[in-house]
Amino acid sequence: MKMNKKALTKLATLFVGVFILGSCSTDPTSPGYEYMPDMYRSPAIEPYVDYGEIRGRINEDVKTKMSALTPPSFAIPYYGKDSAYVQMMLPYRRMPDSTYANVAAFYGWNISKLNEYEMAKADVNPIKLTADNSEATLKKGKELFTAMCQHCHGEKGDGKGPMVVSGAYQGSGIPNYSTLQIAEGQMFYSIYYGKNKMGAHSSQLNKEEIWTLVHYIKRFQDKNYGKFDKDGKSLSIPASGSTPDSLMTNSAAKVGM
Amino acid sequence: MKISSSQMFRKIKNGCWTSLVVLMFASAFSANAQDGGALFSSKCSNCHHPHKDGTGPKLSKVREKWETGGAKEGSIYKWVNNWQNAAASDPYAMQVSKTKGTAMSAFPELGKKDIDAILDWVDEQPEQDAAAATGAADGTSAGAEIGKEEESGLGWIWIILAVIFVTIILALGGVRRQLKLATGEQETGKIERPTYTEEFKTWAWKNRLYVGLGSLVIVISVIVTLFLGLYRIGVVEGYQPAQPIKFPHAIHAGVNGIDCKYCHSSVTKSKSAGIPSVNVCMNCHKLVAGQKPEQIEQIKKLYNYAGWEMNGTDGKFNGNHKPIVWNKVHVLPDHVYFNHQQHVVVGGVDCKQCHGDMTKHSDAQKVWTVDEINALADADPTIVKLTKPTLTMGWCIECHNKKEISGGSLDTKKSGYYDEIHKRLKNHDRDLYEEYLKDGKVTVKELGGWECAKCHY
Repeated sequence: MKMNKKALTKLATLFVGVFILGSCSTDPTSPGYEYMPDMYRSPAIEPYVDYGEIRGRINEDVKTKMSALTPPSFAIPYYGKDSAYVQMMLPYRRMPDSTYANVAAFYGWNISKLNEYEMAKADVNPIKLTADNSEATLKKGKELFTAMCQHCHGEKGDGKGPMVVSGAYQGSGIPNYSTLQIAEGQMFYSIYYGKNKMGAHSSQLNKEEIWTLVHYIKRFQDKNYGKFDKDGKSLSIPASGSTPDSLMTNSAAKVGM
Repeated sequence: MKISSSQMFRKIKNGCWTSLVVLMFASAFSANAQDGGALFSSKCSNCHHPHKDGTGPKLSKVREKWETGGAKEGSIYKWVNNWQNAAASDPYAMQVSKTKGTAMSAFPELGKKDIDAILDWVDEQPEQDAAAATGAADGTSAGAEIGKEEESGLGWIWIILAVIFVTIILALGGVRRQLKLATGEQETGKIERPTYTEEFKTWAWKNRLYVGLGSLVIVISVIVTLFLGLYRIGVVEGYQPAQPIKFPHAIHAGVNGIDCKYCHSSVTKSKSAGIPSVNVCMNCHKLVAGQKPEQIEQIKKLYNYAGWEMNGTDGKFNGNHKPIVWNKVHVLPDHVYFNHQQHVVVGGVDCKQCHGDMTKHSDAQKVWTVDEINALADADPTIVKLTKPTLTMGWCIECHNKKEISGGSLDTKKSGYYDEIHKRLKNHDRDLYEEYLKDGKVTVKELGGWECAKCHY
């Protein structure tokens, strides 16, 4: 009987051993071991960390229920003390109009009954291109365009980006910038709230970036846009319909872009 | 007769040992087949499908196809390494090269074993009913899960088999011993029952050289394994958690050329690169509902989260919005400060340096191993080759030591951050400045990148 017991113990050890060996496999869904888990996840809040599970303890109340949040509508980040700059970065005064009622990003927003897109014609770009800042602004615009627009609108702004070429987007309606006849305020409105098939980009781009992009897009329409001669005089010929001179002095256009 | 029965038992026991060893080899082989799956998804799945012709032909039973087609032995492996070499040496391969217009990439890094592993894995894949795949969205995901369960179930079968064999071995050993004791009793008439320990001791003493050497090997390997195990603590290389939606980076960033910064738009503005909110997905996906059944299924999940009802080519938002909970992949300990903006905007580091080449990665996002990232350096000279595991402190400081802050001239950085450090260094410590310039480059370390408080405070 004594021997049997010993044999049984051995058998049990063997079982356990085999079990442990069997569990020795690399599991890609496990992050592995940590030296000091409490130092890895301290009570200080970091983005995208699930504080509902610390060292195996689950707290249902604070468990992550949402990974990514849209910025709160009309939240105002701190933009320094330069009043002209702060003025530019203040929340956009134009509201989405009735065509945006079914757009995910504006669900539950105040929808304007007016034709806001038409009204946006009056807005002018608060970033004024000068001989000094033109090159840098357009370079920034190119960077932004490459990151945010070029996959649909194409590197040359002809509406033939890789999304279209690959066949992922099979619709139509991507304009060729060179023939696009809209005012810069409307360009801003379209980028901010989206237009036709294009979605809203207000959560990805701030107002300064959108206005920079507007400058860059106008380069597609006019090769001389943003180029200056030796005396600092602009070489570009203002196209009809975009920034009419009469509006430049319009006080309404200056406020709260 | 009695002795021979004892021998018979010994034979059975030996047989069992052999089968156990064979089993172990077999389980090692099944691990190989799993590697084949990983290799297939990383190298081949962009163009090939096991059972469907895509950009490239289907791969199921391709070896048999080549063999019956009259290809030279081994030329399929040559083909994978570089199809032009194979076409030059084998008429069958030449013929294959003419059938399809799109040229296959060369994979010189794949050995014969790797290719066999891939093709073994492909041959094992069950052919799914195409009609079932296009059916209910949940149906296909269930199919995929069944496949997974089978895979993990197989591991258990091996373990159970091993346990059964070991039990048989022990039982037979016990029976043999009893028999031997019984015969001993009959022959000598004395009751002599040495315990297992005593028996073992005599046996060990008899073979003391081998036992000693064996135990030495065991002790050393246990110590080595222990240390290797300790070195893996805190290393998250290869971590690839499951995600609520199978998001293929290769299609978004690769085929469709969407810049990383389009979705991870806060990378240039904030500490965190940001996970896009659902409205960013819907900017495109309100129009793009997917073409292949597996794409349609995944995008349907997205529509569920977004509360979007797709109707033909247009849709409507219904307000039933459920947020997505993604599983965080790159987790840094809380006691280290890391800022994306500083690295991407000021440092000008490419995303690839830490996150790998997502334009070619169709699986769920994972922590790339340092070897995988080093392999990208051949194509992209801006990538710094490192040795320590990704996301460890050794890896961070190794890069800070190697990475030049700019190509020789400090003034090319527009931020002014390095200019300021540069100015102070020049004005306050001329000797140190000269020393730094000796090797002709200025690294992050030389401008304070190795200060503890840079990351830990």
